[in-house]
Amino acid sequence: MFLRKSIIALTGLFLCIFLIVHLSANIILLLPQETARGLYNAYATTLRESFLIKIVAYVLYLSIILHVIYAIQITFKNRRAKPKKYLENKLRQNSSWASQNMGLLGVAILLFLVVHLANFWARIKLGLGEGVRLDDNGHVDVYEVTYSLFQNSYYVFFYTVLMVPLGLHLHHGFKSAFMTLGFYHKKGLNILAKISLAYAGMMSIGFGIIPLMVYLK
Amino acid sequence: MKVTFKIWRQENAKSNGGFQSYEVDGLTDDMSFLEALDHLNEILVGQNQKTIAYEYDCREGICGQCGVFINGRAHGPLDNITTCQLHMRSFTDGQTIVVEPWRAKAFPVIKDLVVDRSALDNIMEQGGYISAKTGTAPEANAILVGKDVADKAMDAAACIGCGACVASCKNASAALFTAAKINHMNSLPQGKQEAHRRVLEMSRQMELEGFGSCTFTGACEVECPEGISITNIAEMNARRAMAKWHNL
Repeated sequence: MFLRKSIIALTGLFLCIFLIVHLSANIILLLPQETARGLYNAYATTLRESFLIKIVAYVLYLSIILHVIYAIQITFKNRRAKPKKYLENKLRQNSSWASQNMGLLGVAILLFLVVHLANFWARIKLGLGEGVRLDDNGHVDVYEVTYSLFQNSYYVFFYTVLMVPLGLHLHHGFKSAFMTLGFYHKKGLNILAKISLAYAGMMSIGFGIIPLMVYLK
Repeated sequence: MKVTFKIWRQENAKSNGGFQSYEVDGLTDDMSFLEALDHLNEILVGQNQKTIAYEYDCREGICGQCGVFINGRAHGPLDNITTCQLHMRSFTDGQTIVVEPWRAKAFPVIKDLVVDRSALDNIMEQGGYISAKTGTAPEANAILVGKDVADKAMDAAACIGCGACVASCKNASAALFTAAKINHMNSLPQGKQEAHRRVLEMSRQMELEGFGSCTFTGACEVECPEGISITNIAEMNARRAMAKWHNL
């Protein structure tokens, strides 16, 4: 289980880095319509044509799969270790809600991921569903896919609200991953707790607010 | 002072247990929690009923024998104390107090509030000692230990093995106990010779005993009577990785 826990931690931290890159690119969406379209589509094309990004993409798929599978395995093993629950258990007095419910938060994020991949990845990369047109520069118009999706208020709501479980999951997971990997410097961990909070806040607010801003554009 | 105890009663390891309520009068604020249970047992004896089984030894917070889940917290509502150090002034008149045994697969209930904590001893048997023959007590200053190292080792050695970490952990993980024992030994010069073997075998035994994995909720360090820091678990992980690397 130690090895599996370390793999969950490592893949989790890799996904954390991925989120930073993803959010940085999403900021383009906040630019004026036509500037955003040109830049965003050019960026998407560059990524798609890069060999290096192709490798990173496969590492990303593998990370998500391993992170989920090992987390499920360990969760079930942990449940077996505590077959009988207490009649009364005041967990809020000794630990945070997020730390006690990482599995539940993970399921919410996975639900989001399935919808998110169906909206973008399946349509653009797998060519499923409605075809995607090219823009004036001959790039696949990824911006249009994004923009039109966020004209639908239900999707905006879904994309915004589900960034709350993401933030909570990251807040506990980011710091906890370092501890699982053996980082035990006390002062360092205090600083890491602050970084963890700032990082989780930035990711959930950043990802949550962009669909809303695009909707209101 | 009058309270209602709602206590887990279970005849033996094989029988199904259940909660039973007892209204107890004549308690005082300055009674310890265990004295209140003693008082209840005296009443039960007078009524020719079976007394409630619970463990204790020193009643001064250093032996680690007492330990029950009280009103949803290991060792009761206060942080970092043992059950024997809890007093009735922490409760209000007329309150219902739920008392349960430690819950973990590795800690089977023997009777009422008593659980079998042998699993922790089994972990200790895998390396919670130094195998060098020491003969009679050696000269204290024969091996010099720096103050910072001694303090750190003592902080970990403070663990009394009460099992509150396992009881309060949602995964019933014994990581805090095991880490405290490993770090205590491995940080001292006497423990260095067997450091790698110790961390690998004790952590392995922890898994074999059926304890869960640590997910760093931090509940254990709040309930630990000795306030042993959760950073000990991260340190055990680091020591374990180093031992694995060393054995490659």
